[in-house]
Amino acid sequence: MSDIDTRPGAILKNNLWTSNPIFMQVLGICSALAVTNLLTNTAIMAIGVTFVTGLSSLTVSLIKKWIPRKVRMIVQTLIIAFYVIIVDIALKAYLPEISRSLGPYVGLIITNCIIMGRAEAFAQSNDPLPSLWDGLTSGAGYMGVLMVIAVFRELLGFGTLFGYQILPANFVPWTIMVMPPSAFFLLGIVIWVGKSIMNREGAPA
Amino acid sequence: MNKEGTIYTVVFIFLVSFLFVFLLSMTNQATIEQVELNNEIARQRAVLTAMGIETESPDEVQQEFGNVRADENAGLFAREIDGRTVYAREFVGAGLWGAITGVIAVTDDLSEFVGMEIVSDNETPGLGGRINEGWFKEQFRGEEIPTGPITVTALEGDGDPDRTNGIVDGITGATRTSDSMESIVNQEIETFRDPDVLESLRNLTTGGNA
Repeated sequence: MSDIDTRPGAILKNNLWTSNPIFMQVLGICSALAVTNLLTNTAIMAIGVTFVTGLSSLTVSLIKKWIPRKVRMIVQTLIIAFYVIIVDIALKAYLPEISRSLGPYVGLIITNCIIMGRAEAFAQSNDPLPSLWDGLTSGAGYMGVLMVIAVFRELLGFGTLFGYQILPANFVPWTIMVMPPSAFFLLGIVIWVGKSIMNREGAPA
Repeated sequence: MNKEGTIYTVVFIFLVSFLFVFLLSMTNQATIEQVELNNEIARQRAVLTAMGIETESPDEVQQEFGNVRADENAGLFAREIDGRTVYAREFVGAGLWGAITGVIAVTDDLSEFVGMEIVSDNETPGLGGRINEGWFKEQFRGEEIPTGPITVTALEGDGDPDRTNGIVDGITGATRTSDSMESIVNQEIETFRDPDVLESLRNLTTGGNA
């Protein structure tokens, strides 16, 4: 695919900024809304997504020439599901508390459109190493936006960051920040700010 | 060989599925002991929390749990805390989507709840799943056990501060889960009042440790 710039720097800039999966492509929104009320959960979730996106892109790219075209999406889903279950098992065994608080959302990484999007749009037609890098940076782009949202939600909803008390004890927590609707507002604000900066830079939005 | 042919496709899918599923089962096998240990610690921690004992590390859980007299087969637990005897029992009840398991602790004269803790549930996250939240569970701490059934019903604000009325604030938008919790807790009170169960609990405290 000649229209994709596969230099590492270009991939990085593209995935973190110019076509950020969350605020440009608006993919992977349900998990962005669900898990972002605590920074720790958000970080673990985003690391999980990054790991899965990176390795599934790598694997798809490695075996792409043996995959029959008509079943390629089934094979991609299988590979993605494989890595997600690995993440799930690892969390259950080594981080049981976080596994419990993330609940069903770990399994739902499978349905995160970013992962299959990268497998189909990039890994299917590029070499393994650029694909790994593309997957990891897409995950990082997702992580960046989620962490920004989580900082506001945890700080205003609980008065803490990573569980450490930041705001004074007499601060009244904003209950709405703990609940999913606040993520809609914050995500909207992030998209607005992101696009405004982008328009000012003159980049195609 | 024709890569797009049916035979190649079937064989390819079979091999790929076999390989990935095989790797998954290896991973599962390698971690199963750790996962079981984690589940056991979570269960012990729930019993301790219901009894009002806060624990931090897994080691602390196991150490504290060593002081609890337990009949694991019947899911009955007893322990002396600050000069009074506390009984606890594991429960399994029907929730909206699946079983709710947990622990309820009461004083030995069955006059008040000591606490309630959820071990696992499949309730809707953000709605029924809120039975896991502190404000809901804390309502049972020190709540008097009425002679009649308790009521779980939606009230204003978070939690019902009155410890004597046998009323617990339910979850708005999760009426079915609230109803389930109500019937589970009432069922548990009945079970604690069963002479056989009470007898087993008394036996636990008088030294008969199973």
